[in-house]
Amino acid sequence: MRWQRLATVWGGYPFALAAVVIVTAALLPFRSLLQPAQAMLLYLPMIVGVARVAGVRASVAAAIAGFLALDLLFVPPYYHFTVASPVDWVTLVVFLLVAALAGVQTGYIRQRERAAVQRQAEFALLNRLSSRLVSEVSEQVTAGFIVGEIVSVLGADRAVLYSRESGEAHVLAQAGGVGSGLEERVLADWVLRNAKAVGLPPLPDTSLEPRPAGVAADAAASGVVADGIYLPLQTQDSLEGALYARPLAGHPFSADTMRLLVATSNLAAAFLERRRLGGEAARAVALRDADRLKTTLISSVSHELKTPLAAVTARVTGLLEEGEGCDAARVRSELKAASEDLGRLDASIRDLLDFSRLESDSWRPRLEEYDVSEVLGTVASRIPAAQRPRVVFEVPEDLPPVRVDFAQWARALSNLVDNALLYSPADEVVRVGARVLGGDVLVWVEDQGPGVPDAEKERVFEKFYRGSTSAACPSGTGLGLAIAHEIARTHGGRVWVEDAHPSGARFVISLPLGGEST
Amino acid sequence: MMNGAPSPERAPRILVIDDEEQIRRALRSILQARHYEVDLAANGRDGLSAAVTHTPDLIVLDLTLPDMSGLEVAKELREWYEGPIVVLSVRDADEDKIAALDLGADDYLTKPFSTGELLARMRAHLRRIQGGEASVRSISSGGLRIDLAKRTVEVDGEPVHLTRTEFDILAMLARNADRVVTSRMLLEHVWGPEYESDTQTLRVHMSHLRHKIEPPGGVPRYVLTEPGVGFRFVGDE
Repeated sequence: MRWQRLATVWGGYPFALAAVVIVTAALLPFRSLLQPAQAMLLYLPMIVGVARVAGVRASVAAAIAGFLALDLLFVPPYYHFTVASPVDWVTLVVFLLVAALAGVQTGYIRQRERAAVQRQAEFALLNRLSSRLVSEVSEQVTAGFIVGEIVSVLGADRAVLYSRESGEAHVLAQAGGVGSGLEERVLADWVLRNAKAVGLPPLPDTSLEPRPAGVAADAAASGVVADGIYLPLQTQDSLEGALYARPLAGHPFSADTMRLLVATSNLAAAFLERRRLGGEAARAVALRDADRLKTTLISSVSHELKTPLAAVTARVTGLLEEGEGCDAARVRSELKAASEDLGRLDASIRDLLDFSRLESDSWRPRLEEYDVSEVLGTVASRIPAAQRPRVVFEVPEDLPPVRVDFAQWARALSNLVDNALLYSPADEVVRVGARVLGGDVLVWVEDQGPGVPDAEKERVFEKFYRGSTSAACPSGTGLGLAIAHEIARTHGGRVWVEDAHPSGARFVISLPLGGEST
Repeated sequence: MMNGAPSPERAPRILVIDDEEQIRRALRSILQARHYEVDLAANGRDGLSAAVTHTPDLIVLDLTLPDMSGLEVAKELREWYEGPIVVLSVRDADEDKIAALDLGADDYLTKPFSTGELLARMRAHLRRIQGGEASVRSISSGGLRIDLAKRTVEVDGEPVHLTRTEFDILAMLARNADRVVTSRMLLEHVWGPEYESDTQTLRVHMSHLRHKIEPPGGVPRYVLTEPGVGFRFVGDE
């Protein structure tokens, strides 16, 4: 490739001349053996070669130089432009015509080949860039890739990709040589303010759209010399940033390279727009989650929190009202009841907060390996002492360890146990069991209460849903099963209720073994 | 003597460091009603200087303070104060609990807590520093009996053979009954400081220990897991 570049220096004329001199020097010793027509034939391949390597103009120059060399050195009389024989005249004229034709033809083929190669490179580059844009790599990597391609494929000395942050240019990625600092920043800012390119000459090919309007550097900022091209990164609707590319000293960008730069800048604009819209979408999701959290809290806060608070207030103010008169036993029983109400209030607040955090995905499970029995040990320790004899654990010892958020899972199982204790007769046993089934670990809590009618089997896991059989038990928060449901969901498992035999409900929570949640 | 060891003839002196007025007032009336002497401080600086002037027998420390974090207060206190520190925190934030315990706090309670629970823990800690840990010869809980002097363990009257490591783990947990012992503290105490992050080893030994002492049915009753923090021995209620 290097010698090809050398061949095109100064339009390729020195190369053409050198080729003629070399061929002439090689043929001269054999002049006595060669007819002018034979010498002419030996010049022709050289002309074609020059056309291939250095282009049409160089090949025509080589043809003329070859014509003169033939005339001077190979057509008698030697060292004179005069030609003695008419046959030699014909030879010379035929040479000039054939050489020029061959050169022009070869040169055009070369040009078309080059254009095809260029298009191919262009296509490959744009293809790489656009596939990058839709892949899910980080924006930093993509931005770095864009500037890297501009330096390595387009042969720029330096490339910078700016994003637009609150109206100003912000360097997203850069590659290649050292930057000029202030000037780059000033011009990039100007490009963002005016949505016009700087340092971009008019391009011959009009097929590229959209093509930014350009101005010279000193029109943009007086006294500033642009040593490269600044392109605005524009999409249909918005100005996303700017792209700066600086050519190598002494090798200004060709028209082809500039067209590629413009095409690249259009892709970069698409990339930046996607990035910005992605950020906005994420913020919208966060806002929606916050909104959902708020709705949940507001819709339930009055009922769930005010009921126990009202009860406590009633009891305490009642005692104050009665004054000195009331006996110690009554004070004690009222305070005991108030303390139970406060316990419910605390449980309600905890449930509301936890449910909201779960529902908005802000309480992400921290998965660690535990034995199912460890978690159940904590569940067992939370059962009020008076109720503990009612709960029977039947857990096989050879269960594989599970990857769970311990606190969340203990919470879910505690809720199922509390629910069973609450909704089944006080003298009946609640059984807790576990087993592996397929790829899941199942843990269940079975009571001997009235069971859950089929119509309600799904709805019992909705927040604040109270089943038809729960009217007699006012003390739940209405969130226990919904919390268990959310926890199962965040662990990639599920929770459901089925009929136990001969009566009662069996609440089952499943957890995929080895599988992990989102 | 600056370590605040109580003398038997006077009532135990408690320092409460909490920025919430309601909690300070409630704790003062509850503790005074039980004949404790109570000092109050509303922020970390006042708390630290009150600790120096009053040499309390026990300090109740809230983790969220206006001027400095409760963890910093605990750390500064531990440079000279040897009495029990009971930490109060609002929600169960594991990191704070671990940090507080690792900094030398003896116990933590999550608000809201019941008076009964706070008083029980305070009594246990005060008893421990009065009696001195060395004099405890045996500890029992339910059907489990641990003889610290003879290094033997019985479950429901039957002797159980534990390895040295298993016994050391159990003894450390039982000496700190009803308090969370962090994994790091256990590892440091049983294996040595260079093992303090080897929680996997600890889990393996814990699993063997549980297998030997816990009742059948697969659900532990004596040693409970405190997720992300460590373990807790359940004492007799």
